[in-house]
Amino acid sequence: MATTSDTQSDEMLSSGREEGGVEEEEIESRVGISYTLWQIRRDPTALAGLAIISVMTAIAVFAYIDAVIFDRLSDYAFFANMGVEQYWFANNYWVNPEHDPASVRSLLPPAWMENTFGQGTWDHPLGTDHRGRDILVRLFYGTRIAIQVGFISTAIGMVGGTLVGAVSGYYGGWIDDALMRAVETLYAIPFLVLVIAFMTAFGRDLTYAMIGVGITTIPVFARLIRSRVVSVREEDYVEAARAAGVRDRNIILRHVIPNSFAPVLVQATLQIGVSILIVAGLSFLGFGVQPPKPSWGQMLSQSRGYMLPNPWFSVWPGVAILITVVGFNLLGDGLRDALDPRVNN
Amino acid sequence: MLRYTVRRLLQAIPVLLGIVTITFLLTDAIPGDPVSIMLGPSPNAEQAAAIRAKYGLDRPLYVRYLNYVADVVQGDLGHSLYYGVPVTQKIAERMPVTLLLLVSSFTFAILTAVPLGVISAKRRNQPTDHVSRVVALIGVSTPSFWIGLLLIIVFSFHLNLLPATNLIMPWADPVNVDGAGSRLDVLVMAGEHLLMPTITLGTLQMAAITRIERSAMLEVLSEEYVKLARAYGVPEGTILRKHAFRNAQLPVITVVGLQLTAALGGAVLTETVFSINGMGRLIITAINNQDYELVMGTTLFFGLTFVIGVILTDLSYAYIDPRVTYGERE
Repeated sequence: MATTSDTQSDEMLSSGREEGGVEEEEIESRVGISYTLWQIRRDPTALAGLAIISVMTAIAVFAYIDAVIFDRLSDYAFFANMGVEQYWFANNYWVNPEHDPASVRSLLPPAWMENTFGQGTWDHPLGTDHRGRDILVRLFYGTRIAIQVGFISTAIGMVGGTLVGAVSGYYGGWIDDALMRAVETLYAIPFLVLVIAFMTAFGRDLTYAMIGVGITTIPVFARLIRSRVVSVREEDYVEAARAAGVRDRNIILRHVIPNSFAPVLVQATLQIGVSILIVAGLSFLGFGVQPPKPSWGQMLSQSRGYMLPNPWFSVWPGVAILITVVGFNLLGDGLRDALDPRVNN
Repeated sequence: MLRYTVRRLLQAIPVLLGIVTITFLLTDAIPGDPVSIMLGPSPNAEQAAAIRAKYGLDRPLYVRYLNYVADVVQGDLGHSLYYGVPVTQKIAERMPVTLLLLVSSFTFAILTAVPLGVISAKRRNQPTDHVSRVVALIGVSTPSFWIGLLLIIVFSFHLNLLPATNLIMPWADPVNVDGAGSRLDVLVMAGEHLLMPTITLGTLQMAAITRIERSAMLEVLSEEYVKLARAYGVPEGTILRKHAFRNAQLPVITVVGLQLTAALGGAVLTETVFSINGMGRLIITAINNQDYELVMGTTLFFGLTFVIGVILTDLSYAYIDPRVTYGERE
């Protein structure tokens, strides 16, 4: 499948390769990532992406503090009929878990609407789910899972893929052949199927979901880095380092990888969005985060039984996923454009 | 051309062997004992031993692996413990449904994405371009199964226009289909049933292809020979059709091929949303019932579909771009 991988990489790396002279390449690699980051300051789409990611990350951090550090995981997950204001940490921290079941209002519509279960209320701005839990609050806590999954699984794939791709491209020969065939094999099994099989074998929880998605991401990064390394390998400074007796491992770590890193950063940004989508799909199928911990995919799965009485229950978690993934895609596109001076959108 | 085709097929062998190995090792690592599933929680020791011997479960891992590979090569994917039929039979039963879904969603994706991408590139930075870019961005950022849920809410529950479940195959016998009098009725009903799953599965592909089509067209349109053609006063439409379009299709085809792996995963979700009994639901059922050989067989099928798809992609380069030479340079 060499043809395919090369063409794809060419596409992704439309920068770099045709830049031409050694000096240009040198300058680009010197200023590399920081220069790229500096360039996106004038790109409204990239900034919008960055803003979305920042807000989502802030919500995730808040949810983490509230849920894990203050240990309220069980509160927000189990106890129905609490208004939004009661969830903010330090405010009404000791919620009395005893509530009057008659007052639980499940499947309420958003505040400004009315359905068979009654008029919406600003206590639950986006309505309630089938157990009377506030949808907005559960969305907030779902952010924690999504952001965590996106970053960690992409990090696993990036580190793994970078190592595999760098070794493969640097040594060439049979090592390259063997590693690339392995990478193609991983790529040939649909991500979702591979992760499901992986989780069935090792465990149905978030940790294995992240590891599984990380592993399925390896091929993307491995191919990207490899195509880059194959050209960096021939550069004079690598030649010089080799002549000076620098060990292969150090050449790869100090010269080859840093000089191939900018496109990896772009890919990683886009990949976080993809990982969030995959994990949402996993949770939807019942793999991934287990109830009562809220995750967006799982909320969508639960909403399937209530699409007729309260369709909004099925709308909001999807909106949350959409906004988050759009954020990463906008930033990734912005970074890619900044890296590639020929495309001036 | 023939030599190249044969070589591509040979190159696929290690990948397929790799898929068999990965799925074998993963299914072997699945906790739980198939024997206890067949005989209940507390099986009689003799019966258990008999079953182990019958299915070769008492032999060491590498022996089982070699046996399995030998069987697969001969086209025998083993026996489904849950359904009690050969795995190949179960796959043959479910495969047409999934293939139909894939073909219809890719047709939808290509037919909408290619014009959208070309128009977007042609009217760069004009309103049409912005709209198509926003559509593509949302398309690649939306979970496919959520699109399915929204479509069901709007078109099945509120407008009562389209059916949400019970997919009807276009080749089904009219006698077996409720409310269908003739072949035409069956075709119409199949179309109605397929519409929402097709959009659900095809949106991601559509968006990805639109994005690549646009950037590929923009790249080609900035080439020297296009500038030259413009300088000679060749009409813009002719440039687009004759000079740019064909040359821009190489990266597009690559992306179409690579999208196949995402689409196969998406098929699992789409089939779940619309309760379609295809390969995707089969693999979930197989995993939930610890039906090992069925899990391995379906995964192998998914891998094989992808490998065939990529080979077809590579071969279609030749059709699109006669300059592609087949490895003689390597």
